[in-house]
Amino acid sequence: MTVDLNKLHAVGAIAEEAEGKWGMVIDQDLCTGCQACVAACAMENNIAFVGEEDAGYGRSMHWIRTERFWEGEYPEVRMTDYQPMLCQQCGKAPCEPVCPAFATVHSQAEKINLQVYNRCVGTRYCANNCPYQVRSFNWRDYQDSRIRPEITILANQFNPDVTVRRRGVMEKCTFCIQRIHKAQDKAKSEGREVEDGEFTTACAQACPASAITFGRIDHPESLVSQLARMPHTQHHLEELGTLPSVTYLKGA
Amino acid sequence: MVRKFFEWIISPMGRIAALIAGLSLFTLAAYGVFTLQQSPEQPIQFRHDIHVNLQVQCLYCHPGALRGASPGLPTLTKCWGCHQQIAKTDTSPRLAVLKDYIANGKDIAWVPVAQVPDFVHFNHRPHIAAGVNCEDCHGDMSVQEIAVNPQVMNMGWCLNCHKEKAGDDEVKLTKLTDCGTCHY
Amino acid sequence: MSEKISRRDFLKLASVGAATTAVLTGCGPASRYVTREPYTKMPEYTYNGLSTYYATTCRECAAACGLIVRTMQGRAIKVEGNKGNPVNLGKTCARGQATLHGLYNPDRVENPVQQGRAKNFATEAMTWDAAVQVVADAFKNNDPSEIGFLLGMAPDHLFDLVSDLAKSVGAPAPVRFGVLSMFESRATLSKAAENLLGQSGMPFFDVGGSDIVLSFGANFLETWLSPVAYTRGFAKLRRGDPKHRGYFIQFESRMSLTASRADEWIPILPGTEGLVALAIGRLVAEAKGGAVPRAFASVDPAAVATQAGVSLEKLEHAATLILDAQHPLAIPGGAALGQSNGLFTAEAVLAFNALLDNFNQTGGVYLSPLAPNQDEYHRPASAQEMTDFIEKMKSGAVKVLFVHGVNPVFELPKSLGFAEALASVPQVISFATFPDETALASDYIFPDHHGLESWGYQRVVTGTTQSTLSGAQPVVSPYFNTRATADVLIAAAQSAGGKFAEALPFADEVDFIQSKLAGLVGQEGSFLAPEINTFAAYFQQHGGWWKKDAETQVITASNALSKSLKVAPAEFAGEGEFYFLPFVSPTLAEAGANKPWLQELADPTTTVMWNTWVEINPETAHELHLENDDVVKIISEAGEVEAPVYVYPAIRPDTIAMPFGQGHTAYGRYAQGRGANPADVLGQHFNEAGDLAFAGMRVKVEKTGVKKILSRLESRIGVYGEGMGEEH
Repeated sequence: MTVDLNKLHAVGAIAEEAEGKWGMVIDQDLCTGCQACVAACAMENNIAFVGEEDAGYGRSMHWIRTERFWEGEYPEVRMTDYQPMLCQQCGKAPCEPVCPAFATVHSQAEKINLQVYNRCVGTRYCANNCPYQVRSFNWRDYQDSRIRPEITILANQFNPDVTVRRRGVMEKCTFCIQRIHKAQDKAKSEGREVEDGEFTTACAQACPASAITFGRIDHPESLVSQLARMPHTQHHLEELGTLPSVTYLKGA
Repeated sequence: MVRKFFEWIISPMGRIAALIAGLSLFTLAAYGVFTLQQSPEQPIQFRHDIHVNLQVQCLYCHPGALRGASPGLPTLTKCWGCHQQIAKTDTSPRLAVLKDYIANGKDIAWVPVAQVPDFVHFNHRPHIAAGVNCEDCHGDMSVQEIAVNPQVMNMGWCLNCHKEKAGDDEVKLTKLTDCGTCHY
Repeated sequence: MSEKISRRDFLKLASVGAATTAVLTGCGPASRYVTREPYTKMPEYTYNGLSTYYATTCRECAAACGLIVRTMQGRAIKVEGNKGNPVNLGKTCARGQATLHGLYNPDRVENPVQQGRAKNFATEAMTWDAAVQVVADAFKNNDPSEIGFLLGMAPDHLFDLVSDLAKSVGAPAPVRFGVLSMFESRATLSKAAENLLGQSGMPFFDVGGSDIVLSFGANFLETWLSPVAYTRGFAKLRRGDPKHRGYFIQFESRMSLTASRADEWIPILPGTEGLVALAIGRLVAEAKGGAVPRAFASVDPAAVATQAGVSLEKLEHAATLILDAQHPLAIPGGAALGQSNGLFTAEAVLAFNALLDNFNQTGGVYLSPLAPNQDEYHRPASAQEMTDFIEKMKSGAVKVLFVHGVNPVFELPKSLGFAEALASVPQVISFATFPDETALASDYIFPDHHGLESWGYQRVVTGTTQSTLSGAQPVVSPYFNTRATADVLIAAAQSAGGKFAEALPFADEVDFIQSKLAGLVGQEGSFLAPEINTFAAYFQQHGGWWKKDAETQVITASNALSKSLKVAPAEFAGEGEFYFLPFVSPTLAEAGANKPWLQELADPTTTVMWNTWVEINPETAHELHLENDDVVKIISEAGEVEAPVYVYPAIRPDTIAMPFGQGHTAYGRYAQGRGANPADVLGQHFNEAGDLAFAGMRVKVEKTGVKKILSRLESRIGVYGEGMGEEH
């Protein structure tokens, strides 16, 4: 199906590059910073915990995090809205052209950025070039039971639909591509298209405030594209021409 | 240092040493490839050919292939469902192993034969739905005694078939050759 | 990609070992006895690469959120919210997500053990037969009046079983405690409702239906009462009406996570929350015209503003906003009630709601309905009641103590002397799932299953206006050699014979649960079942039973306004220049420290991971020559504790704050020896409702000269690879 994107009054990524297929809208006015999305993401995607010391070195592997900034000084101090930051699945991703191994490539089918773990050789050029700082690197074999014997028990929880990454490999948010594939597979076996709201990413599913919405941004009637056309939207660092697929809603 | 090494390597002794090193590396690699092609030691020397020639359908023992990602390996009860009614079970020395398992209530630790690496997510269902038959990938089981993997299941092999199936359909080709279709 | 624990290795391991695999079949009555089945004996649907989903109830706190757990080949893979359950409507919090790290925690009590109060965890296993015999002997050899039961806030079915047992044999009723209820000041809230409204029960504040919320210290977006339900309410406040975005003001001495989401955070002097509520109330009443109700008559807004350290304009501004609003709402809670005058504060805020005519109104205050099989609201013990129980233990009146689901050695302030009291009880039997501090101080540990391996139910105390009983079933069969505590008690009671056997005439735990569900058969609700077996099957399938319509206890608060309130100033114990504010860590809460991914989560406001910190205002830190990561000693009249400084821009200069949740001396490798416990410096001071005045302490701060670098997520943002110890 081809959609005339100009008719949709689409913004950002979609209008300029006709890039969007999957998109996310995050309502910062609703986010309470509760970390449910971070925990849900870690559980869904077999993300390693790195421990106190490595976390202090900035090696923690959150695929999504909540940022907050301070404005002013006591007593007129204000905290900005929490800003969940995850891979923006850029239409023109700065991480892609710098990879010498073609491990971070653009998916033409799903219109997202892929990280192909088996190709990655760990140059970290992509993370260096990512303006959102959302790529995390496996500095050690955090999930190897030879190094962490207790993983043998914790590994029972691992999601078999997601690869367990090893040392020296870059990783990042995949828009829960395993869930996308599962939903597509189910829809195909039933001879239909994937319906809006039929599935969602782990973060959106958990969010107690329903601040995160995920879906087909190229379907004008989907909830996510309706929200993306609301006033007070923002695309982070869009001045860099990254064409992000994640739209942020600000408070009124 | 480096210069000395180069001088040594062009000397006759050096050349012989290099040749030996090269040969042993090749042998090792060849041995590695060879072992990969061998059927693994199975807990029961299960004869696929006999079962297939008795008209047992693949999906009878591997029913998951029709519905999901993994076809599944048969349970002990499934084996016994037929074998308890077959007279030969009591006489054949090969089947004594099975009787042993039943008597002790142990599980059969089947060793999977056709494997793809961990970073590949293969789903049986869409392949069957697209009309690919079991034997297209796993070989003709009616002639195989103990199951072996008939081919190296590498990416080139996957992609060749994907491209062939997609034909001139651009959308299909994009989907079937996208990295994210198998790697995530 | 990992060689050792790859996805494929899972499958191999699973096929090899019965040890890691098991399955539950169906949900009919025949399947209620869960047995471990090896992988190769599984039904086909479990080995075809497809997942099976089971409905159950979260046990990480007592809010009773419904879960749907995705399992695969007998392992629990992912927690998802149960969309049907009225409490959480398909959503979960971070602790709910990480409950899997409790289930597959490498430091669980794997077998029944004779701990013998040793310092280290005993590992030599007993048999369950011997364990049951120990419990039976404890029943037989002691007078029932000398048996003590100490239970946690969840699960409710065990509380019911023990209550029934205690009642029939003449033992004292079980004491129920949870540190969250202490920090929530539940006793104060329900006592205030009783005093002012003449009805006991847990008030429910309809944040979602309101358009301006004034919260007096209530941290309802963190751990307070039912965080997922209140967060949903908050979302509705903001976006429920597309034309009007609800406004939110928080009065609190430190900017908590909840306050950080407020449109206005107004830092007031700790202990003046009640006065501020009355002052705003008076301003509203005067503007409305007519006589100022008695409760508000004596208060002088200008004087209150000076006393609370806030400008009168701010209070007037709040009053103006309330006058313009359709459904204004005021919530008391958290540290505001954990003061010597906490009961007054709670009453003042409830009276303010009465002034706004808020009872039984949309966007107002309801009394939560009783859950389906509840006769009255069982409030957990207040700290005062726990102190009485500790005195009883010390006096030798408790000969044997059974502990389940609670860890008072860690949770209660050290000054209350629980550990010493425990030492004077001749026999202590713990049913802990994890080797926590209280379990180590016990004679025996007979481990209960993890919540995801357990049967049960939990009553919904608050969070929804639908009367709800949330049901739990095992989503996987037990991973270790554990046994349901209810089963152990039933078996021991039958072995003990006599009154004990008569008290628990059940085949097992499921039999008991069904006996408690029997009264609901045939009632209109989320499903209708003609007889108990069908009912129990649906109960498992739906993850509980709830009434379809909202149903609240009607509040008859006719005289709430005519009562005069006893205005009490807050008293602070001890000496020192700082007010001490302990708060429950929003990510760890009381029992999350042993789950590695909860430790790895960044605290929302400070972004600190894996440790405890002390929040100090930048001005104050400058005066004291303190920088980030300087370890300070906090000294109160009750004790001292050390932790590194986090210079926090949004806290009063006269207040320091410290998160509760770390500082374990046991509880597994991820928790033990990590951080510090603010409960160590809390004294024995209670408010009139018997809750601990945990925020009513004054403390001194001393620099130790030591530095402990805190791991913070924020240092990573901006410059890649920025190292430890640098300013953000």
